[in-house]
Amino acid sequence: MSRRHVWELLSALVLTAVVCVGFWTIFSGLNLTRSHEALWRYRESLYKGWIGSLVVSVGGLIGSCLVAAVLVAGQRAPLKSIRWFTQGLVEIVRGMPLLSLILIGYYVVLNDPTVTRVLNGVGLGGRLFGGIMLLSVFTGAYLTEILRGGIESIPQAQLDSARAVGFSRWQVLRYVVFPQALRRVLPALAGQFVSLVKDSSLLSVISISEFTYEIRAFYAATYLGVEAFLPLAFGYLILTLPIAGFSHWLERRFQAATAS
Amino acid sequence: MKLHADSLIRTYGPLNALDGLTLAVEAGVLVLIGPSGGGKSTFLRLCGGLDQATSGSLQINDTPLGHDPATLQAWRRRNGFLFQQFNLFPHLTALRNITLPLEKVHGQSPAAALETARRCLDRFGLLAHADKLPAQLSGGQQQRAGLARAIAPGPEILLLDEPTSALDPEMTAEVLELIQELAAAGQHIILSTHEMGFARAVADQVALIAAGKILESGPPAAVFGAPREELTQRFLAKVMRFA
Repeated sequence: MSRRHVWELLSALVLTAVVCVGFWTIFSGLNLTRSHEALWRYRESLYKGWIGSLVVSVGGLIGSCLVAAVLVAGQRAPLKSIRWFTQGLVEIVRGMPLLSLILIGYYVVLNDPTVTRVLNGVGLGGRLFGGIMLLSVFTGAYLTEILRGGIESIPQAQLDSARAVGFSRWQVLRYVVFPQALRRVLPALAGQFVSLVKDSSLLSVISISEFTYEIRAFYAATYLGVEAFLPLAFGYLILTLPIAGFSHWLERRFQAATAS
Repeated sequence: MKLHADSLIRTYGPLNALDGLTLAVEAGVLVLIGPSGGGKSTFLRLCGGLDQATSGSLQINDTPLGHDPATLQAWRRRNGFLFQQFNLFPHLTALRNITLPLEKVHGQSPAAALETARRCLDRFGLLAHADKLPAQLSGGQQQRAGLARAIAPGPEILLLDEPTSALDPEMTAEVLELIQELAAAGQHIILSTHEMGFARAVADQVALIAAGKILESGPPAAVFGAPREELTQRFLAKVMRFA
């Protein structure tokens, strides 16, 4: 065993010990025995809430990509008025706290009878879809700026080469710009998707039955604080860690291709 | 190949990159020489349909290269272009760099494109590197792969913008040899270069561009052997000093 290995092992042991002592200090004072039973009693609503968060997150992920696709196209529109309008929209959404966007969106926009009728007409009515839409707009605005950064980082020489081989405007984007831009902004995109999952907890303020909402209901009924909020943290980690892991895997896979 | 340029002007802001360039030549290989910043690249970009003149007219082989995007794109599809560097798409292997345009631009089937691409890479001694990404190739190999991509669809004219300027002498020789081979096989070429010996050897017609105009043009023997203009004499004296 080399010197380096010894240090590696030693530091791993010390860090483990620190974590264990920390946890023991914090949790040893608590009496967690009755919590199992309470959590078990509420398992169905908690599970339903977690599934709700999963649905909202997946919906928001798809929705935000659609919103970003439209906004990115708007930023590159041939007409100046469309470009300015798009950028204005992006800045306003990014400048607002998500909470106020949710409250205004839900109590003002989605409360409007005409809007409600139209949404019901296309089968997208209801609280859940409303929440997914608001989350999509919010995250979509951030994704738009990340993607714009990626697209603008592609050097002019690549665009020239792509045109020189005869690609059409769309083919230049499809085969040359997007694949390279996406690889460059992958870590930022993954971060934004992780944020999306966590941000979905704010939808509890408009009574969407997602994980935070159900956990708070559980807490209100039992007053079991630690027993409520530890599972809350774990529930979100189950959703967010795979996104981070997947992103790292993609980064490694495309590492060679992003070097230029 | 017939080229006819009349009073071409191309401005970038306050700068006149081309300042009334007029040239009428018929040649298999046209070589553009002249000082950096003189307008060679701008003129080549116009000839390749990658840029548009601010005013004036340009016609190559009966195709007027004006402002119509469809005509310009069709023209780009018919010809090949190679830049100084960064020609290849870094996210694709050398092979895919060649097959992708063949499939998407020229409508070849994947099997046919693969066959063409492998033949081109083989011709340029790159078959062993087919599956490497551009970053894994040397500068000379990258330029040769770029050249392979440019000739794969069988271009009417090959336009080369200082194809060896970013290469060391050994790699330069590798690439120039290939270009000479292509020229000898009858490929029509317009190229700009600082390699005067090469220009002299390979050109049918040479044009010296400076300050956005043609200073002098004619067969290489005339331009290099007995330049008429004083500026040409000075330019050649300078660049040939160590040749």
